[in-house]
Amino acid sequence: MQIIGIALSKGRILEEAAPLLARVGLMPREDPERSRKLVIATERRDVRLIVVRASDAPTYVQYGAAALGIAGHDVLAEHGGAGLYQPLDLGIARCRMVVAVQKGFDYKGAVRQGARLRVATKYVQTTRAHFAAKGVHVDLIRLYGSMELAPLVGLADAIVDLVSSGQTLKANGLSAVEEIMPVSARLIVNQAALKTKRAQLQPLIDAFARAVA
Amino acid sequence: MRWLLPEHIDDILPGEAAKIEALRRAILDRFAARGYELVMPPLLEYLESLLTGTGHDLDLRTFKLVDQLSGRMMGVRADITPQVARIDAHLLNRPGVTRLCYCGSVLHARPASVAATREPIQIGAEIYGDAGVASDLEILRLACSVLKLARVRGARVDIGHVAVFRSLVRAARLGAEPEAELFEALQKKDVPALEGLTRGLKKQTRDALLLLPELYGGAEVLARAARRLPKLPALGRALATLRRLAAACAIPASFDLAELRGYHYHSGVVFDAYCDGVAGPVARGGRYDDVGKAFGRSRPATGFSIDLRELAAAGALPPWRVKRKNR
Repeated sequence: MQIIGIALSKGRILEEAAPLLARVGLMPREDPERSRKLVIATERRDVRLIVVRASDAPTYVQYGAAALGIAGHDVLAEHGGAGLYQPLDLGIARCRMVVAVQKGFDYKGAVRQGARLRVATKYVQTTRAHFAAKGVHVDLIRLYGSMELAPLVGLADAIVDLVSSGQTLKANGLSAVEEIMPVSARLIVNQAALKTKRAQLQPLIDAFARAVA
Repeated sequence: MRWLLPEHIDDILPGEAAKIEALRRAILDRFAARGYELVMPPLLEYLESLLTGTGHDLDLRTFKLVDQLSGRMMGVRADITPQVARIDAHLLNRPGVTRLCYCGSVLHARPASVAATREPIQIGAEIYGDAGVASDLEILRLACSVLKLARVRGARVDIGHVAVFRSLVRAARLGAEPEAELFEALQKKDVPALEGLTRGLKKQTRDALLLLPELYGGAEVLARAARRLPKLPALGRALATLRRLAAACAIPASFDLAELRGYHYHSGVVFDAYCDGVAGPVARGGRYDDVGKAFGRSRPATGFSIDLRELAAAGALPPWRVKRKNR
């Protein structure tokens, strides 16, 4: 029997996945939020959790370093999903990916066909595709965090980021002007692993499906 | 100078080179013994002929350069299969069945995966001019026998058929755009996206498309598909073909009815073989009946190809020693 790894990130995904993991019979043997370990044993001897950065989860699964993973739809869209199956929406870590601008900024006027817009985001691919579909030129500025700052200090006209309650936007005088996609976390599976270790993976996937339903 | 090689390009040193060469000879001998004639297409061609009838993926994987003699754009082959199809359709022009095989280096502008070389050695065999399941069977058996020659461990094959999805789409008279979106979602077994995309389709079509991502596993999948998918003639024929392959396959086989790799040029059976020690598929094959059409002659075609370097690395072939001479 081979060891199955599940790649997931600490924070919101792990928090909301914990009840699912419990129902599937994969409770971690120690609290991942407190432990500094990056590989964490579970109730089942053949399954372990691999703690990664949220945006790295698809990469670990794509290259087979973990057979399974949990990743937000935002991260998957950015990654492109090559080498992955994404059979199940886990319905956790729900939020929206939106375009946000400073209050008073004329977004409608700024995204006329052929216009040019400076956008700060960490979702470079998704943002490029979104504006390309509208026929709007964008100059992308890749940031790694605190996106809300960019319009305030004149770095960008708009940002593309995730919002759940909208509190951070509001506190910084920004508002969402367009939704790009609703986001929730998916169960992802390495394509080759599903073909070669189906006997082990299929029951786990089925168990997740039952836990979500 | 540090003599660094480009990324994903490396030298093959004596031990590995000897193993690859031994395997190359053994496989080409096997092909010859089974009646496959060797062809050697050129390393580069004008882009039009190199990429005709192939997908966008191949275009992205192809190195391009300008021919200083003609000023035309040329590409270094990233896949030999279309070249061999061109030879069959355009140069040989034989009536009846033609069996061809080939072995040569190809170049990938982008590596296929993070660990992949950009210069695989592609070896493969193709049958032209027979649309019957007997040819699919012969190719599948030949691929299995090559895996056996290389002494890989844990060899198994995953088989699909593009007519399953195609017949459902045709029966529902869907346009090119919804078909492309459904294709994308099925490739990823992205059930949530499929649920969105199939909303508004007829119930029978919708249920069938939503069932496809679940239809993978052992031969029992075929029985389940026959029971639960609509009774379309093309679909029935596809399932019958798969049943024949299931019964005759020499290594453990699984089936995946949502497997649509190469959907744009494949037309029937598609298969991927796996073995221990290789993360992705080690051999890929299938039927691609219409590729020759672009070269003036539509011929039924089926075949498979393998990266010899990957196969040699995975196989337990005994090292093929050459006595070193000391002078």
